Amino acid sequence: MSNPEPIVFVVDDDAAVRDAIKDLLESVGIRVETFASGREFLARERAQAPSCLILDVRLPGTSGLDFQRELAAAHIEIPIIFITGHGDIPMTVQAMKAGAVDFLTKPFRDQELLDAIHRAVAGDRDKRAQNAEVAELRHRYEELTPREREVMVLVTQGLLNKQIAAELGASETTVKIHRGQVMRKMGAESLPDLVRMAEKLCIPAQRY
Amino acid sequence: MEHSENVKTRISSVVFNYGLAILSVASALLITQSLKPTVFPTPLFFGAIVISTWFGGMWPGLFAVVLATLLLDFYFVSPVRAFAVHTADLPYLAQFVLPALLSGWFTSKRKDAETALKEARDQLDGKVQERTAQLRQTNQQLQSEIAERQRAEETVHKTQADLAHLTRVMTMSELATSIAHEVNQPLAAIVTNGDACIRWLAVEPPNLERARDSVTRIINEGNRASEVIKRIRALSKKTSLQKSVLGIKEVIQDVLGLVEPELVKNRVLLTCEFKPELPSVFGDRIQLQQVILNLVMNSIEAMEEARGRSRELLIKTETADPSRVLVSVRDSGIGLDAQQIEHIFEAFFTTKSEGVGMGLSISRTIIEAHGGRLWATANSGPGATFQFTLPTAEERP
Repeated sequence: MSNPEPIVFVVDDDAAVRDAIKDLLESVGIRVETFASGREFLARERAQAPSCLILDVRLPGTSGLDFQRELAAAHIEIPIIFITGHGDIPMTVQAMKAGAVDFLTKPFRDQELLDAIHRAVAGDRDKRAQNAEVAELRHRYEELTPREREVMVLVTQGLLNKQIAAELGASETTVKIHRGQVMRKMGAESLPDLVRMAEKLCIPAQRY
Repeated sequence: MEHSENVKTRISSVVFNYGLAILSVASALLITQSLKPTVFPTPLFFGAIVISTWFGGMWPGLFAVVLATLLLDFYFVSPVRAFAVHTADLPYLAQFVLPALLSGWFTSKRKDAETALKEARDQLDGKVQERTAQLRQTNQQLQSEIAERQRAEETVHKTQADLAHLTRVMTMSELATSIAHEVNQPLAAIVTNGDACIRWLAVEPPNLERARDSVTRIINEGNRASEVIKRIRALSKKTSLQKSVLGIKEVIQDVLGLVEPELVKNRVLLTCEFKPELPSVFGDRIQLQQVILNLVMNSIEAMEEARGRSRELLIKTETADPSRVLVSVRDSGIGLDAQQIEHIFEAFFTTKSEGVGMGLSISRTIIEAHGGRLWATANSGPGATFQFTLPTAEERP
C-alpha cells in the first residue's frame, strides 16, 4: 500500500479565519482544502489519504456540533478538531463525547493547532491501516474452501490435529494438509499469528 | 310510600277536623242543656261553628252548622226529641241557620286571609334569608377576588423587579458575547497569520512572497476589527438620549415602585429624604431610572451579603450648589475598601460572585452624558454611599 500525503480539511464560514489557517498549514507543508460550509465539504469526494477536519462550532444554519452528528450518521469517519470563538465547557464536553479529537479556542497558538493536527492525522492513519489490514485478511479468508475454514476455526481454538480429525471425521493426514493450506493462504507465519488474524476477523471462537 | 304517607296525614287531618266539629257542637249541646235554657239557645253553637270553621275549614264548618241545626231541632224545638219541626218554629231555626252560615262563611274568609298573610310572611322570611345568604356569598366571593387581585399584583411587582434585574444582566452579557465574537474572529485570523508569517520567514530560504501575503492579511484583519469597533461607537451614538425636564424625585419613586418587593423580601428599611422644591433636571427618564435602579440593587445586594446587621437604605436629594442637584444612595452593606473605590467604575470589575461588572461603568457613562458626576465613598460607619450630581434644567448643557 502506498503512503499518500495527509490532507487537512477546514470548514469555517469566516473567510479570513479559513485563509489564515490555510496559510499557516501551508507554511509547514501540510496539504489543505477549505470549505465555507459543511455542505461544500460533503460535496467533495472522500479522501483516500489520512486526514482530519478542522470544524468551526459556530456555523450558519447547521452548527458544527450538528454537522458532527450528520457525519457520524452518514458513517463518514474523520477525526474532528473543533475551533470556537467562545469555549464553553458543556459544548466542549458534548463534542468530545461525540468523538472530537480536540477543542481549541480562538485565537489559538499555532503549535497547539499543529499538534492537534498531527495527533488527528496519526490516529486516522492507524485506523486506515487497520481497516486495510482487516479488508486484506477478509479477502484471504474468503479464498479458503469451506473445509479449510472449518479447520482454521478449530486450529485457532487450540485443538490438536488428532482432535480436529476426530471432530471432522477425516484422517489426521488430511487435516495436516488442510492446515498447511490455511497457513499458506492466510499468509500466517505461526499459529499465534493465525490466532491473531482470526481475532481481527472476529471468527467465532466458540463452536460448541 | 310517600304517596301513602300523604294520604294518611290527609285522612288524619280530615278525622281531626270533623271530630273537632262534632266535639265542639256536642260540648255546646251539653253546656246548653246543663244551663236549662228558657229561650231558644244559640250562642254556644255559634261558638262551636266558629271553632270548627277556624280550625277545620269550610266543610267541617258547614258540617258543624248542619249538626248544630239538627241537634237544636232535636233537643230544643218542639216537639222535643224529634226531628220534626212545627211550622211556627221554622223562623227560630232560620234565625239560627242563616247567622250560623254567615258566621261560618266569615270565619272561613277570615281564616283564609290569616293563612294567606301567614304564608306571605313565611315567604318573606324565606326570601329575606335567601337574599342574606346570597349577599353573604357575594361578599365572600368579593373578598376572595380582592385577595386574588392582591396576590396577582404582588406577583406582577415581583416579576417586574425580576425582569428589571434580568434585563440588566441579559442585555449586558449578550452584548458582551456579540462584541467578543465580532472582535475575536479578526483577532484569531491575525494571530494565525502572524504565526504563518514567522514560519514563512523561518524556512530556508525565506519565502518572502508568502510572508508578505500573510502580513497583508494581518493588516486587512486589523482594519476589520477596527471597523467593528467603529460600528459599535456609531451604534452608541445613534441611540440618542430622549431628554426632557424631570423631577428627580419622581424618577426615584418610579424605581422604588419597581424594587419595593425586593426591599420587602430583603427586609430593608428604606428612608427617603427628598428636599422640597428641588429644581428639575433635564435628562433621559429611562436612563436615569437605570442608574438609580442599579445603585439601589447594588445596595440591596451589598446588604444581603453583610449578615447580622440592620439593613438601612437612605435615598436623599438635595442641591449641591444652585446649579446642581445631588442624589445620594447610602446603605449599611459590606462597604468598600480604598482599593475597590478606585476600580468599581471600571468595566468588568465586580465584587459580586455573579456580577458582570458593567452596571457602575454604564451608570457613570450615563451620568457623565448628562453633564453630571457619579462617585462612591465609604461610610464612616458600615456600608457605602453612592452619589451623583445632575445639572438643573436651567443649567442644561
